[in-house]
Amino acid sequence: MEKVLAENGFIIDLSDAKNTTQLVFELSSIMEHPEVKGKDVRLKLGSLDLKQSQLLSIKALIESMDATLAFIDTVSEQTEASAVSLGIVISKVSDTVEPSIVCTPKEEIKEEPVIVKTEDERDSEGKTIEVHAGEPTNPIETASGVEDVYDEETTEELSEIIPSEHFDSDFELLAKNEGLLKPEETSKYILLDTGDVLPESSEENNVSTETLPTLYINQTLRSGQTVSYEGNILIIGDAHPGSEIVASGDITVWGILGGIAHAGSQGNVTAKVRALKLNAIQLRIAGLYARRNDTLNVPYVQKTNEFTPEEAQIEDGKIVIYKKLRRD
Amino acid sequence: MAGRVIVITSGKGGVGKTTTSANIGTALAKAGYKVVLIDTDLGLRNLDLLLGLENRIVYTIVDVIEERCKLKQALVKDKKNPNLSLLAAAQTRDKSAVNADQLKEICETLKEENDFVLIDCPAGIEQGFQNAVAGASEAIVVTTPEMSAIRDADRIIGLLEAKEEIKSYKLLLNRVRPSLIKSNDMMSVDDVVEILSCPLIGIIPEDTGIITSTNKGEPIVNDENALAGKAYRNVAQRILGEEVPFLDLDEPKGIMAKIKNVFAKLKAKV
Repeated sequence: MEKVLAENGFIIDLSDAKNTTQLVFELSSIMEHPEVKGKDVRLKLGSLDLKQSQLLSIKALIESMDATLAFIDTVSEQTEASAVSLGIVISKVSDTVEPSIVCTPKEEIKEEPVIVKTEDERDSEGKTIEVHAGEPTNPIETASGVEDVYDEETTEELSEIIPSEHFDSDFELLAKNEGLLKPEETSKYILLDTGDVLPESSEENNVSTETLPTLYINQTLRSGQTVSYEGNILIIGDAHPGSEIVASGDITVWGILGGIAHAGSQGNVTAKVRALKLNAIQLRIAGLYARRNDTLNVPYVQKTNEFTPEEAQIEDGKIVIYKKLRRD
Repeated sequence: MAGRVIVITSGKGGVGKTTTSANIGTALAKAGYKVVLIDTDLGLRNLDLLLGLENRIVYTIVDVIEERCKLKQALVKDKKNPNLSLLAAAQTRDKSAVNADQLKEICETLKEENDFVLIDCPAGIEQGFQNAVAGASEAIVVTTPEMSAIRDADRIIGLLEAKEEIKSYKLLLNRVRPSLIKSNDMMSVDDVVEILSCPLIGIIPEDTGIITSTNKGEPIVNDENALAGKAYRNVAQRILGEEVPFLDLDEPKGIMAKIKNVFAKLKAKV
């Protein structure tokens, strides 16, 4: 994963990503930085096979951050086919353009924000995060020395905000978690005896939620706010208690889910609810309702480094929550 | 059987309407009466939190009115007391989703099968208040010994007097701090009663236990030792028509006599 400053945009190299989950996670963590706004983004996707819907989601993610997807670079035929059908330009990030893109020439540095580079200790796996500092603090004389000078400083700065250990293990594990999931103790949620709660018009079905459109919401949902959508909902932010999310497909909250979530609201039993922290006062999937256990002590304030992503789904007529295991 | 419909109102926000509703409701249910609490504060509901029932709400009053469910389905039973149930407000809607006639109809239906229907009124004197008052025949006006709360209570009493349906109204003085009254920094109980000239139904002392009980979702009447809990139990008994003396709030003898005196005076008036 690499992000390099181009003249009017960025090249984001995601060719290291092993699967789509990892790709989306890494992409969104880069897109969070404010300087990506309004710029062209060039994606290097490597050999990853992406379906049309996945590629569309990626494009939407980039556009939701006010950036535009200039072109993609891929060696996968499937991704190429998907891109063609979506009208996304395919091009090569060739080595010859590299010098003008990688931001090292002197004259450019004086005007552009300074590139700083941080590498955490676990760089053996080739995980590098590059961050652009907001303002250049020192006048830079020689380009060659720049990276080294800022290297140490930012490592310190970053580690204050996000302990590198957490950052690393949490995000990497999430990407590889397929084999590591384990159902959490069932006492967290208790099924409500509500009878038939689905609207009369809906029928039980198991349409793959991957084929549904996705609504991106880049804000925090507060008490009293409702979002409902025919498709998947992705919230980048928290959903506070008192808010309500209703989706006919999956619900993903990239933050703390504290309100009510109803996935598969039209009866889709394959729908899932996932969040970095699943504190929903009520979980509803298709026709099943579950309430949070009264004995569950939810702290007034959640520490951000205590997140353990969780996913709820229907299994044998029950709502089961899977928790990502921490690698100790 | 036709139960009593009592609205709990105040005009000013934050004086303890919801706390009062939850506690009186719980106390009456503990005494063996069937009680329904209705939260009419649409969009800013809190009563469910105080009772610790937030996670059980599936249908709200708006669902009942818009006929998405039956009234019975929307009643949430209390965790401990099967006599107590809650009709929750919708958090994602606003006051305009309900009108006075609809609420009146719900109250009529509910009082057929319950001894008490307690309505938790929203702050203000706009539509939310008008809705909440519509179905009630009695009112409890909650106030605190502060000028602003008393002014608002006065306004509310005026509005209640103008309503034919409201047969009686009583004053509940909340968050009383005897030590402040003693040092002349707070209005005394009889001062408030004199300003508002309204019969008193209870004096609730300021109690830090209220904060804990609110956060836990457990009404303070369930705490046998809390002074505020005892005061609320007394209010419930007075609602049931029993004569209970007002609590001695750790005051020198004089004040107790004063309160009794006030009560006697009021009784003589009524």
